Amino acid sequence: MGIRRKTTKATRMRLYAASQYLNLSTEKELGLQIPFDVYLQDPLVAEEDPRYGFNDGSKDKGLFVRWEPGLADGPTSARFAIVDYNGDTGKLLPMAKWNERKEKFLDSQGEVIDRDNLESMQFHQVNVWATVQRTLDFFEQGQGLGRRIPWGFEGNRLIVVPHAGYGKNAFYDRRSKSLQFYYFDHEGQRVYTCLSADIIHHELGHAILDGIRPHFIESTSVQTGAFHEFVGDLSAILLLLRNNRFRRLLVEDTDGDLAGAAHLASIAEQFGSTVKGEPYLRTALNKKKMSSVAGRREPHLVSEVMTGAMFDILLSFAKHFIEDRKRTAPQAFWHAIERMQRTAIQPLDLLPPVDVTFRDYALAVLRADELSNPTDPHGHFERMAKVFVEREILDAEDAAALREPRYLYDRLHTAVFHDVDDLSRSRAAAYRFLDDNRKQLLIPADHDVIVADLYDANKLTRQGSRLPRQIILVYLWRESLMLEGERFGKLAGNKTSMLCGGTLVFDQNGAVVSWFRKPGTRVNGETHGKAGKEELAEGEERRDRILDNIADNVRRGRIGVALESERGMLGTRMPPLTMREDDGALRFEITPHLSLAEVHEESKGGPRWEISS
Amino acid sequence: MGDQLLVRSYNVGCGDCIYVCIPHAAKKGFHILIDCGSKESARSKCMRRSIEHLEQKVLPTTTGGKKRLDLLVVTHRHEDHIKGFDPKFFKNIKIGHIWITKAMDKKHPQAKKSLKLHSLASTAMEQIEKAGLALSPELEGLASLYSIANKGATEALTKELPDLSGIKPDFVFAGQTSDDLGVKVPRTKIHVLAPEQDIDGYYLGKEADATLRGLDKANTEFRKVTKAEEGDRPANISEADFRNLRSRLLSNGLAFAVDDSKIQNNVSTVLLIEWRGRRLLFVGDAEWDEGYEEGKKNASWNVMWKERKALLNASVDFLKVGHHGSHNATPWNRHEDKDHEVNQIFDAILPRPKGKKKPTAQCLVSTKRKQYDTIPDAELLVELGTRVKNTRNYLENFKKQDPDFDPDQEIYNYSVRKLYSGEDTPREVGDKGWLDKDQPWRTDMESAFKSSEDMGNTVEFVDVKIKPKAKA
Repeated sequence: MGIRRKTTKATRMRLYAASQYLNLSTEKELGLQIPFDVYLQDPLVAEEDPRYGFNDGSKDKGLFVRWEPGLADGPTSARFAIVDYNGDTGKLLPMAKWNERKEKFLDSQGEVIDRDNLESMQFHQVNVWATVQRTLDFFEQGQGLGRRIPWGFEGNRLIVVPHAGYGKNAFYDRRSKSLQFYYFDHEGQRVYTCLSADIIHHELGHAILDGIRPHFIESTSVQTGAFHEFVGDLSAILLLLRNNRFRRLLVEDTDGDLAGAAHLASIAEQFGSTVKGEPYLRTALNKKKMSSVAGRREPHLVSEVMTGAMFDILLSFAKHFIEDRKRTAPQAFWHAIERMQRTAIQPLDLLPPVDVTFRDYALAVLRADELSNPTDPHGHFERMAKVFVEREILDAEDAAALREPRYLYDRLHTAVFHDVDDLSRSRAAAYRFLDDNRKQLLIPADHDVIVADLYDANKLTRQGSRLPRQIILVYLWRESLMLEGERFGKLAGNKTSMLCGGTLVFDQNGAVVSWFRKPGTRVNGETHGKAGKEELAEGEERRDRILDNIADNVRRGRIGVALESERGMLGTRMPPLTMREDDGALRFEITPHLSLAEVHEESKGGPRWEISS
Repeated sequence: MGDQLLVRSYNVGCGDCIYVCIPHAAKKGFHILIDCGSKESARSKCMRRSIEHLEQKVLPTTTGGKKRLDLLVVTHRHEDHIKGFDPKFFKNIKIGHIWITKAMDKKHPQAKKSLKLHSLASTAMEQIEKAGLALSPELEGLASLYSIANKGATEALTKELPDLSGIKPDFVFAGQTSDDLGVKVPRTKIHVLAPEQDIDGYYLGKEADATLRGLDKANTEFRKVTKAEEGDRPANISEADFRNLRSRLLSNGLAFAVDDSKIQNNVSTVLLIEWRGRRLLFVGDAEWDEGYEEGKKNASWNVMWKERKALLNASVDFLKVGHHGSHNATPWNRHEDKDHEVNQIFDAILPRPKGKKKPTAQCLVSTKRKQYDTIPDAELLVELGTRVKNTRNYLENFKKQDPDFDPDQEIYNYSVRKLYSGEDTPREVGDKGWLDKDQPWRTDMESAFKSSEDMGNTVEFVDVKIKPKAKA
């Protein structure tokens, strides 16, 4: 940071406005990136092996977070407000104070908060804030989605509660726009979940995915719940591995020949043992297939198949860099992780609006890769497809279809031409596009369609080069479903709705980059040919599956109403799915998963929210 | 007739007020009252009328002019069992002995943790009551268990009532008998079957340890709300967002109240009265679960089966059905594994008669329809109806009361159908299909469907009489 001079706030604001044209090292030089001391993993790991203590780069100390003009006490930034309120004690703890001149937060004694002053609760506030700030940036930057990600609720600020109360808990709650971190005692020591990077990443992962596809929460499908868990775990793994020092130490701590690929397995093992005590990350090391979790209802357990698959892909990348391209292990890991950010995160924009499945995601991963790497000189596509097939996320038919020669882009056959620039300009224009082309877009005539989201993304491909701008249009509609028959128990006779819709992604020239659909049981009037018939059949299958899912959840007593008061919720009696009525129809929502303790998959006995008196 | 033992269940709505009279010629009977509480509001007066009835029409007069109650038993501290213990109601009654569950003994070292849990739950719930916060019906029921009125009743039981009679209460535990406790009744022995003396060890288990320690540190940081603090709000979010946030934090207070509430049921005083060859079982609200496990938060029936099997493992002549007929207070054949202990217990105490034999046992259910969805449990009552002799078909009753009554439309009173091994399958079934079956006598139905406004204007009760066993 040799040339770094103190700038005035006005100058810094102008630089901030121009930061999209600057690279990271320039931003650091100009003071647009400010280092904060945060735990790389958590205090326990820091104590056991100080080398893994703080989130330091290979050259710099601290975790770099982008400066913003609105940075304030709390910490408070554009996207996050730290509120240190404790529900058990009813106390509000003093906020960390922002000192612009020092570029540091101060504790309630006025002391600078850093690794030499980490006992205060204000350190915890800064630790969690810097971590979420950095993680959101990881998802938003060009190697990620290349766009701003809104939250899944109204407003732009996620409330983060670092010490919400006593308990082995941490969760994202859309209704209160918050991430809540609890603390507990373990073997005589107090454990703060707000100091665990893995837990923070995981929970923020839920919030971010909820912002990307807000309707995923409204689902009774196990895979959709599991997908939420997967994104949580994936962000924890990617962000940890992204740390240069961590990767270097990981490789160093592993015995054997650093250049040899045989060695990858032991690195993976080392990874597993370094993160011991954090069940999140361990789940990456598994060999589970879809058939091994068939019939299971616990989302986290099911998510392990996808997490394991993505970890396999990461290792296969690393292996390729070592074996085929003669990189050293640390280099190979760096390339692999960098590629992984694009591979795993960019496809999230392609996902359908509702009821996502692992198969959808796998296909989106492959499609996104095809777009950014069409000629695929190193065979990554095949490498990834193989993993998905091995894990039974894709079947043989999918695999065969993927190997069929095809054009890179499809043309959308529409009745009325709309220029992509026009339709991307406003939701009203997008509505008109959908309405004009209902038939070709397989949207039923008698249902009102909703533009759920419309945005642009500027994603980057390897070496920072730009992909064509993407225009993403997410639309949906609701079909009414009756819950008829004894299998719906007390819910029988009620209405619910099936969410249907699609995600259309265009490039800047109007070519269709991808189109994921979740059809309903009606299409538009007359015959639709083969495509329409297939669509209908799939819609009917969806409907049956949704009804089966609801019945199954009723049978297992998994649906309930959250017990809440102005003094808080009854976490121990939280049903896995909550139900509420909207417009005379029932809506089912995935409850934020509570409790970090080992989950008893199918808790025996009566409904957990039953109360004795 | 003077030779028969009487069990009377006063109709106090959803609650227990059970009077037992053991024949005792020299003393005009030995009079026992087991619990006196209700979910009814104070306005309904049903408890006061019941105690007045007991005092004026039933109990004998002592030399001092007061009425004599020989033994008062308190099973546990829930309002539906103790709310009626108002010293006003008892001022003309001289009590001989008071037996209270050991779990309510504040000085008992082996109840320290469960008492702590109770106090944390009470603190939280009192704050809710004080703040006058709106609660959902489920939570309201929970909050009422910690109401100030209930706290008053607890005080009355441990202090004012004993003082009035110049006695000290006995905090009783399993293994004790009437002899140990200085109670003498001819040809009668009363056994305490529960709770075990080690309250924390058996009924709280180890899992609560961590949480309690966490909140116990530094003399508990646990919420003590003041008005000023309520006004405090963070400077970086709006008041509305803050209010919303607070309502969505996990409340340990509520969680404690739920845990505590369950534990209170399981530390119920359970009595086995042996009288002239008969066995009568009074179980309070003791619950059962999938099985006893050391270090776990255990349910009372499972603990009794493990520790008091010698006394429990035989048929009874009378059962006071627990917890107003809830599915988890009577161990019954809900487990598909026939050899599971809950099935064993049920078959031991209330065996289903073989062949063409008729049942001989009797039971009483003190309950109130429509108070809770799952109380009483429809299928449990029908099952009990096959194992006891004092049954009735209430459908006709219903039709008489309400010409429009249509069992197909009735949605009240479900059965929580669940199996305890393999996948959990709690399922609710409606009234349909069980109302026309024989059920044991219930206080609500026997009292001819008094609404809660009427209740208390007349005194209602159900009597069961038991003859001594014929000598072989």
